[in-house]
Amino acid sequence: MTRILAIEDDETTAREIVAEFSRRGFDVEWVADGREGLVRAVSGEFDAITLDRMLPNVDGLTIVSVMRKAGIEIPVLMISALTEVDERVRGLRAGGDDYLTKPFASEEMAARMEVLLRRARSQPRETVLRVQDLELDLVKREVRRGGREIALMPTEFRLLEFLMRNSGEVLTRTMIFEAIWGYHFDPGTNLIDVHLSRLRRKVDAAGLEPLIRTIRGSGYALNAAP
Amino acid sequence: MRRPELWRTTTFRLTLVYGAVFSAGVMALLGLIYASAAVFLTHQMDEIVIGQARALHGVSSAALPETVREVETQDVRNVNFYGLFTPSGVWIAGNVRALPRDVPPDGVPRELREKGFQPGARALAERLASGEILFVGFDAKTLAGLRAIILSSLIWSGALIIPLGLGLGAALSLGPLKRIGAVQQASLPILEGDLSARLPTSSRRDEIDMLAGIANGMMDEVERLLWAVKSVGDNVAHDLRTPLTRLRALLYRVHQEIDVSDAHRDMLDQALSETDALLARFRAIQRISEIDRRKRRAGFASVRLQALVEQIGDLYEPVAEEQGLGLVIEAGVAGNILADHELLFEALSNLVGNALKFTPRGGEVRLRLTARPEGPRIEISDNGPGVPENEREAVLQRFYRGQLEREVPGSGLGLSIVAAVARLHDFRLVLGDAAPGLKVTLDCWPVAMTH
Repeated sequence: MTRILAIEDDETTAREIVAEFSRRGFDVEWVADGREGLVRAVSGEFDAITLDRMLPNVDGLTIVSVMRKAGIEIPVLMISALTEVDERVRGLRAGGDDYLTKPFASEEMAARMEVLLRRARSQPRETVLRVQDLELDLVKREVRRGGREIALMPTEFRLLEFLMRNSGEVLTRTMIFEAIWGYHFDPGTNLIDVHLSRLRRKVDAAGLEPLIRTIRGSGYALNAAP
Repeated sequence: MRRPELWRTTTFRLTLVYGAVFSAGVMALLGLIYASAAVFLTHQMDEIVIGQARALHGVSSAALPETVREVETQDVRNVNFYGLFTPSGVWIAGNVRALPRDVPPDGVPRELREKGFQPGARALAERLASGEILFVGFDAKTLAGLRAIILSSLIWSGALIIPLGLGLGAALSLGPLKRIGAVQQASLPILEGDLSARLPTSSRRDEIDMLAGIANGMMDEVERLLWAVKSVGDNVAHDLRTPLTRLRALLYRVHQEIDVSDAHRDMLDQALSETDALLARFRAIQRISEIDRRKRRAGFASVRLQALVEQIGDLYEPVAEEQGLGLVIEAGVAGNILADHELLFEALSNLVGNALKFTPRGGEVRLRLTARPEGPRIEISDNGPGVPENEREAVLQRFYRGQLEREVPGSGLGLSIVAAVARLHDFRLVLGDAAPGLKVTLDCWPVAMTH
């Protein structure tokens, strides 16, 4: 079972985190204090951590940088009320894998964590990604479905790669926008939808079983079920 | 702003008024001195002519002509005049050859208005016991001299006071004028919207300082109120985001976990999208405040605008295609600029997104990057309905949405974010007419260079 450590001093937020992860079948431990959090974080008992940026005694940045120096490479999702871009950069530079600002939707938080866990477990040397009859060759930059080649634009290629690397996971529009274009502002709902529907027209051509699913009120997922 | 003119200053006017009053005072004083002296001298002259006439009373009528001639020769100042006439008025002796008409022989001194005499001369005529008429006159030479002195004093003092007064007025006005100039200069940033600027004050505590102090006090209040209004908005946005996020989470959970009918599911979808719209709006309000708060340029780095513009094209091309619009990207060669890459991208993204949103099917949106002598210029134009000239300033304000825009979904904050980004970079953002349509120009060089 996946074990997650939530270091969060705000009780309401902590309860939401615990509830969301428990719902998804994860084992969650909650720590409210920075010093205690650091002790638990380096204990080696956890697969991932959600880490509040500002904590009593020892702050989040210190915890993540101490962890990284100690060679602990488990995914860390930083959560903070500090929205400034500089803060995000500092959080990621200190060793955080992703940065989420408060307030957040708990399924967005969970979706990000799933992607981080997935990335930590995956084989980085894979050169061909496969989901059912869909194949994406990272070296030849080719995409095939059922053996038939699909011509994709560079952006569409990266979009599909992101979906395939995280197949089965729900990816929110914000996550897609951040991953493909590298920006952190609110792009509005329509923009990402249009890109996805264009990709869908090419990947899920008429007569084929649809792979790209819209998760209403949330985002998108590439079907992993056989 | 018009520069104040020297002769319009209060100090100058006051000096002039003071000069005029002073001149009038001098004139009045000299006039009074003259009038008193004239009264006194007239009285003296009357005494003299009466005395001189009296001195001749004792002389026999036979010796009188000779005595008259003698007295005349003794008068070295040539101020005494005598005339001796027969009862019928025929001249007998003296330097007055004809009896002046306005001096009747009644022994009363009168003013003599005759040619050859100074104004104010006094004379009397009287009938002697012998019946002959004696005329005695005294010319007003002293009075005339006094008059001349007073007149020349007036002329000279006038000649001195007028230029001196003007000069002094100008000199006294220069100081205050300079300070008014400084106040005027200091008020320029306030007029341009910098509410933190204040008028300069000195330690003199004079009336200019008092006015500047009052104006500064009013500015403090305006700034405080504006800040209060703004922070109320920001705080509301901040305070409401957390409960709204929780509300959304609940709605989402209901949507995911509870088995409801299709009709109810539609209602839930609608509730979710309304909540999302609210959250997007609050996020945007906070975003604007965050950009405005930055004030510093720590996040600035060299940005290659060409790449940025091409990336925008890549991002929006599918949107344009889906809406049946043309998106033309003209990324000319322009130098790199120092900017916040992400914010600039967000601004352009908003502008292009807006243009695509408001242009009807079949239209075209154009994103142009050109090099100007001052720096790169970015233009986004469409052939949609455009923005009426009188609304162009207002659409950059928070929440403003034009008549037409109300029919299109959006937070009404996109352009405000763009305006905030332009402010942070000190770039000029201008909304113009693309005839037809809207043309937004972003001049990527300091605003001061354009003025």
